[in-house]
Amino acid sequence: MAVKIIESCVNCFACEPVCPSKAIYEAKPHFLVDPKKCTECEGDFPVFQCASICPIEGAILNSLGEAINPPGSLTGIPPEKMAEAMAELQSH
Amino acid sequence: MQLPVLNDAPASKGGCSASSCGSTDNQMDTLPDSIREKVQNHPCYSEDAHHYFARMHVAVAPACNIQCHYCNRKYDCANESRPGVVSELLTPDQAVKKTMAVAANIPQMTVLGIAGPGDPLANPERTFETFRRLSQEAPDIKLCVSTNGLALPDAVEELSKHNIDHVTITINTVDPEIGAKIYPWIFWKNRRIKGVKGAKILIEQQQKGLEMLIAKGILVKVNSVMIPGVNDQHLAEVSKVVKSKGAFLHNVMPLIAEAEHGTFYGVMGQRGPTHDELQDLQDACSGDMNMMRHCRQCRADAVGMLGEDRGDEFTLDKIEDMEIDYQAAMEKRKVIHQAIQAEMDSKRLEKAEKAQQHKQEPRLTTRPVLMAVATSGQGVINMHFGHAKEFLIYEASPDGVRFISHRKADQYCGGDTTCGDGESTLQVTIRALAGCEAVLCSKVGYEPWEQLEAAGIAPNGEHAMEPIEEAVMAVYKEMAVAGKLDDVNDSIRASA
Repeated sequence: MAVKIIESCVNCFACEPVCPSKAIYEAKPHFLVDPKKCTECEGDFPVFQCASICPIEGAILNSLGEAINPPGSLTGIPPEKMAEAMAELQSH
Repeated sequence: MQLPVLNDAPASKGGCSASSCGSTDNQMDTLPDSIREKVQNHPCYSEDAHHYFARMHVAVAPACNIQCHYCNRKYDCANESRPGVVSELLTPDQAVKKTMAVAANIPQMTVLGIAGPGDPLANPERTFETFRRLSQEAPDIKLCVSTNGLALPDAVEELSKHNIDHVTITINTVDPEIGAKIYPWIFWKNRRIKGVKGAKILIEQQQKGLEMLIAKGILVKVNSVMIPGVNDQHLAEVSKVVKSKGAFLHNVMPLIAEAEHGTFYGVMGQRGPTHDELQDLQDACSGDMNMMRHCRQCRADAVGMLGEDRGDEFTLDKIEDMEIDYQAAMEKRKVIHQAIQAEMDSKRLEKAEKAQQHKQEPRLTTRPVLMAVATSGQGVINMHFGHAKEFLIYEASPDGVRFISHRKADQYCGGDTTCGDGESTLQVTIRALAGCEAVLCSKVGYEPWEQLEAAGIAPNGEHAMEPIEEAVMAVYKEMAVAGKLDDVNDSIRASA
């Protein structure tokens, strides 16, 4: 039972100090979670602390491998709108 | 040639009262001595000083505790210049080393700010460690911090300990409903709080922090991002509120939003304000508040004079090899600062005298004119048209000359000579100067000369090395004599 930080992490340090279990550490190329230490905040907080401050959608996965913050949930940008804008830029 | 130098009050409203004058030189005369002493060599707080002194930001603060719709936490681009963007993150130790290396090599650098790329106060250990060391090891550098305000009330005590006499709070609204359209969420008391509820907490913290700083005697500048259709109608109210609480300067900045930035506003097609909309709002606010108009919306790792970035000269691998004797550097800096100060003082006196003379002359009845100026500093016209990356915009009118804004010649990207739609740099520059009727520079090439004239912007290279305000007034008077200003209607605005 542990969360996982994946490669879309931008190394902003925000999650590291809020982890109640000190499970998050700086690493290359991005921050990592020590699965032995991560408690998914159980007993400390009702919500994942790391995922509650993380600004990057999809960067932190739950133990099922699902994005805790799915696309559009943090920025408010509808995923199809983002895809459209990116496609537009690619075409230039 | 006589010239008056005006303050921030728009010409049409006629002068500004002592209580509402702001950041330009003779406005500073109305500030209490204690404040004037603190800002007179601060390029970000004094329009006058920004022609002479440089600043730098160190990017030690990556974490943020809120999301703003004009920010994208993923973005990192060497060619982009806007807040929240950096090339390399520094540890406090690296930041101290870099600051001292820059101070020794660019002695005009008087100010070190921490502005991100996240929120400095959401990274209290890294931010305060940097301040603590710099206030001991480089006591001749002014320290500044800018913040979104969420964590500010808890940080005021610590801030007051470190030689920090300037704090900037970004306050885009005092209304939670509007706030919800700017801030999708905040992280507060171990939860992500979205919408109006989150915005309300943020606004309360900002206002509380502002009050606490004022109570401690720390100077507060307020930054606001002007977002058309979201908070543009509301910012005059923000100006009133923050002034009543004791903020000494309000900096209304235009929204920067492009789809390629990947921000909410960029992707959703929210536009930024036009030059005129920004100027109108700044004028509207200036009745209540000292306005700042020379902000360049720097990157969180910018180095050098406002509008320039010498960050490339001070990358980590380069400063690694620099041997800095800071005691010796401090001696040298002191001498240079005194010389600059003396030059500024004498120019200020000269301007005051000229303004006095102007008052005694018969008053013109001509319409106001916008002019662009190419300068690399020292308050004189000393840059070649083709080399200018930005232009300073001045308004000349029967009341005198006042600084309006700067405009970037190369938009917000610096790499290519052509933009997406094949527009040349020259065309982009001419478009950026829309509404100006003359451009003053040290020299102009043949090709731009023709194109500028075709666009209705008179190129002028006759005032090289002359003080800006004096030259602008001289050109204005020539235009008046030539009968170009006879229509009193506001044709500048119409053509902009």
